[in-house]
Amino acid sequence: MPATTKTNPQLLFNGILGENPIFRLALSMCPAVGISTTVMNGLLLGIAVLFVQVFSSCTIAAIKNHIHPRIRIPTYTLTIATWVTVIDLVLAAYVPEAYKQMGIFVKLIVAFAIITMRLETFACKNSVNASFWDGLGMGLGFLFGMMALGFVRELLGMGTLFGYDILGFRPLLFFILPVAGFFCVGFMMAMFNYIELAVNRKKRG
Amino acid sequence: MREIIRITVSLTVSCLIAALVMGSVFIITDKAKRHNEQLNIQQTMLGLLGYGKDTPAPSDLEFYTIYRYIIEDGEIKTLGYMVPVGAEGKDSYELVTIDLAGQFVDRISLDITPESASEPPERKSALKSVLKPPKKFVYADATIIAERGDKRLAYLLPGEFPGFKTFIHVMLALDPTFTIIGLDITEHEEDPGLGGEIQEDYFKNQFKGKSFERTKNLTVVKEPLPDEYKKYLVAGKGEGLSKGIVDTIRTKYLDRDIYSLTGATISSKAVTNGVKNMINKFAYRLNILDSVIERQHIPVAF
Repeated sequence: MPATTKTNPQLLFNGILGENPIFRLALSMCPAVGISTTVMNGLLLGIAVLFVQVFSSCTIAAIKNHIHPRIRIPTYTLTIATWVTVIDLVLAAYVPEAYKQMGIFVKLIVAFAIITMRLETFACKNSVNASFWDGLGMGLGFLFGMMALGFVRELLGMGTLFGYDILGFRPLLFFILPVAGFFCVGFMMAMFNYIELAVNRKKRG
Repeated sequence: MREIIRITVSLTVSCLIAALVMGSVFIITDKAKRHNEQLNIQQTMLGLLGYGKDTPAPSDLEFYTIYRYIIEDGEIKTLGYMVPVGAEGKDSYELVTIDLAGQFVDRISLDITPESASEPPERKSALKSVLKPPKKFVYADATIIAERGDKRLAYLLPGEFPGFKTFIHVMLALDPTFTIIGLDITEHEEDPGLGGEIQEDYFKNQFKGKSFERTKNLTVVKEPLPDEYKKYLVAGKGEGLSKGIVDTIRTKYLDRDIYSLTGATISSKAVTNGVKNMINKFAYRLNILDSVIERQHIPVAF
């Protein structure tokens, strides 16, 4: 992929809709399925990923000319791990309230496929500026996907949203279990694809 | 060959840079992080004793910590208790060793201040200087004794036991008769929405007020939690409920078993049995330790 020709807003929306990490690229499914049991979990993991993605993308874009091509993947992993550790430590030290909520999510991020993939396909070929917008878009896309999944699963599984009782009963406890995450992802993916088809048909027709 | 060397060098350099960044951030943040952790534990302890933002803890409330170690000398195992000693309290620590049958073995003064005793490495080096090899020792647990004036107010037991997935870490508060004052789940990885509900008030508050005799045969019942009881458990000190109703509900349910969580019987049982075990073992050990302290006239701080 040569250097991108897209403008910054295009890069941003590309991550949220065009190449949404969960629904279009189908990357990082383990956390998406495991964590998205409530909207709050989705939001917190999304924010954590957003920060790590933006920082890592910018770092790699800045040092891309110094990375030996043979060891680029270890370098990416190192960069992500460094940022995850730094964010984890800083949160624990200076924002203990947020850390209580987000601590476990931040530590999960090192193994996320989506971040490594964005570094490999985008950040190592583009400028810092473009990588920043791409990282922001991908992070927001992930956040949006996690929250959408969390919304459905929390509402159907526990009858609550953000912990507040909405329905007053638990319709299908099944939705809290990891298996249901796959169903939700499947249905939403189908929805996304259908919308894309419909939009394209309209354009042509 | 040159390629290999270049790759090796650049990988090493990247690792070094990453290590440098992480290391320096760690050094900068370490102090604040540990301070926060301490604060967190302190808050949990005070919260269990019923002190919070609205009701600040009284100034004469003191905490003393006893550390328990298992000491191995060849085949012989003994229990070593690090107890704070000194008339005015926080002067120093003494190691009291008791054999498995509950008989006093030895007491040794330790060269450690109470401030540094809260740091595991400091304790280890202090113990190493008195327990020479081949004696080995392993850390077992800690007990915190809360005291007001000269009266023991409560025992705070941090503990852990296996849950549905991994270990559940709890902090248990007992009054001097081993009746449960409160239970707090400090760390767990149970399924959110199912076993994760163990940290909710309507589950953990069910343990409140259960007496020592009652906990001995406490079990989990698979019955739906009655509405009035749930309201009482969630309201904490009965806000939104009139005083009379609170008292009737409390006496009505005080001797009941623990109501299981929907879809998480294993987690519910794990917590109930874990708490039961903790109390039983603790009561047994504390009675032995107290009688030894009395017989040997150890000038303990608590």
